[in-house]
Amino acid sequence: MCRRLAASGVFRRFSGDSRGMTASTVAGLLSSEPTAKPRQELRSLTRRELVAVLPAARRCLPLDLLGGARSLCATGSGSNMADDKDVLRDVWFGRIPTCFTLNQDEATEREAEPYYLLLPRVSYLTLVTDKVKKHFLKVIKADDVEEMWFEYEGTPLKWHYPIGVLFDLHATNTVLPWSITVHFKTFPDGDLLHCQSNSVIEAHFMSSIKEADALKHKSQVVNDMQKKDHKQLWMGLQNDKFDQFWAMNRKLMEYPTEEGGFRYIPFRIYQTMSDRPFIQKLFRPVSPEGNVHTLGNLLKEMYPSAIPNDGEPKRFQVVIHGIEPLLETPLQWLSEHLSHPDNFLHICVIPVPTD
Amino acid sequence: MENAAGRRTTRKEEMSWCMLEETFHSCCQLLLQQSEQLKDGWSWESVQDSQEGFLRKTALRSLVINSSPVWDQVGSISDSRSHTSCHSWLNQPQQEKEQSLPVASNDADSITVDIVDDDDEDDGVCMVSEDSSQVLKYEYHILYSCSYSTPVLYFRAFTLEGRSLSLEEVWSSIHPNFRLRLQDSPLHTISQQEHPLLGQPFFMLHPCRTEEFMRPVMQAAQDQHRPVNYVLTWLSVVAPLVGLDVPLKYFIQLHPEVLIRNTEPN
Repeated sequence: MCRRLAASGVFRRFSGDSRGMTASTVAGLLSSEPTAKPRQELRSLTRRELVAVLPAARRCLPLDLLGGARSLCATGSGSNMADDKDVLRDVWFGRIPTCFTLNQDEATEREAEPYYLLLPRVSYLTLVTDKVKKHFLKVIKADDVEEMWFEYEGTPLKWHYPIGVLFDLHATNTVLPWSITVHFKTFPDGDLLHCQSNSVIEAHFMSSIKEADALKHKSQVVNDMQKKDHKQLWMGLQNDKFDQFWAMNRKLMEYPTEEGGFRYIPFRIYQTMSDRPFIQKLFRPVSPEGNVHTLGNLLKEMYPSAIPNDGEPKRFQVVIHGIEPLLETPLQWLSEHLSHPDNFLHICVIPVPTD
Repeated sequence: MENAAGRRTTRKEEMSWCMLEETFHSCCQLLLQQSEQLKDGWSWESVQDSQEGFLRKTALRSLVINSSPVWDQVGSISDSRSHTSCHSWLNQPQQEKEQSLPVASNDADSITVDIVDDDDEDDGVCMVSEDSSQVLKYEYHILYSCSYSTPVLYFRAFTLEGRSLSLEEVWSSIHPNFRLRLQDSPLHTISQQEHPLLGQPFFMLHPCRTEEFMRPVMQAAQDQHRPVNYVLTWLSVVAPLVGLDVPLKYFIQLHPEVLIRNTEPN
């Protein structure tokens, strides 16, 4: 379905902002017929729009469509600089069409209409859902309102994970839009962290950046920054300002040329098959002998069952920002280009769909 | 006895004390042995299918907990060990802050904290009666942070009915002196975090300053050729912040001869 949408150029009309849409608009978009010249439309879509299209389309996207990595894999030499910058933009502007519905058990004064929103993959639920809250507060009695929280098919959604990670982990192979249920009562404090203000999100975000730099540079770069520089990183994320953010973030992506990469790669591997929330350990981008470590090397060390042995069928998908990068992709390149704004490489290992 | 401390890096630019994960494990084992002898209640919990794990201990505390967002309270708080009845809190009504979480504010001027002597307890106004002190169950976990190469303290607290305490309530149970010191930066303080091995909400004491305060201790120990248990030493520093008791006997038992040597004034 998404390929058809891409062909029809439908997603080109989305400017990428998080304004709400009415149900009828979305219904109209989802049912639109391909135009007379679908092949031309598909070719003329930018990489950014392709990434934004998500599930079915991106499941098949090899990383080379995003530019850069294929040449890097094949020759081991430097990638195309212009393509690499495009990758940063594609990652930043990735969006997930979402439908918010109020929990049926919550008492309302009149019927609650669902609310549609394009969620930024790299942001956090509680940061971008003020409009969702306003929308539903119109129909709920003030007495019944406690801290808002979100749930997908019975699973409370952890606001402190980037939105794209939550989607890839829980809903990646499902039909768009992503259907999230909104709650205002019975906050599950055994599962979710509280988030009473944006300063909590900021503290969490900055804490991740600090931790990532502890791994990459022994905290030297982040400690050399001033308070206003830290603020710039946060404001860039909060206000969706790519240039403002990267003006500062590029410092966190530098490394001494003789080292060949960061000291350790900040990463987390998520899965839903066990209780453990994620795997995070020390891993170098380059071996002591000078070999470049790949995504495959990382998984073999940290999550060997994610990679099938020769002859075995593939049981898991390894997903970053909604795509499955080639296992030969150098980890250092992934860390520099596919990290989230918090400077961590968030990797989801999900079972291959059975249908 | 071999030095159970960390390893010192030899880069010229900096000498930092980084504790390897295997060192963390051996320090924990030593601590466990002593805990067993002292009946201090620590146990080792391991993660399924791996060598990773953490130290765990639960303890009961009797406290008066203030759950309102007003966190600039005055009061006296004796050592939690000897205190079984109420602490007296002078609860001055203050205007509510816009952000109720203490971690958010850097505005030191708006905090007024007067430490009331124990002697003044009779003179002061005790607005909270003995009846409202609660028994709370605290659970403490010590994990290893590979990002910071240090131990990290996670904890949570429940009423006996099973209600978990909020950050405001936990914050209010910390001695005002410690609160002041913890407030200077949101990252050098207590915040709610996801437990990295269990996935549940806990409170965490941020580890990014640990190396800073451990460095002089470890340096001195090495200079004096004195064996030190990094985890135990670290715990003795952070435990008072969260009302965790670390009996002195841990240190007396280990090095009786060292204790005698170190009673001379500097």
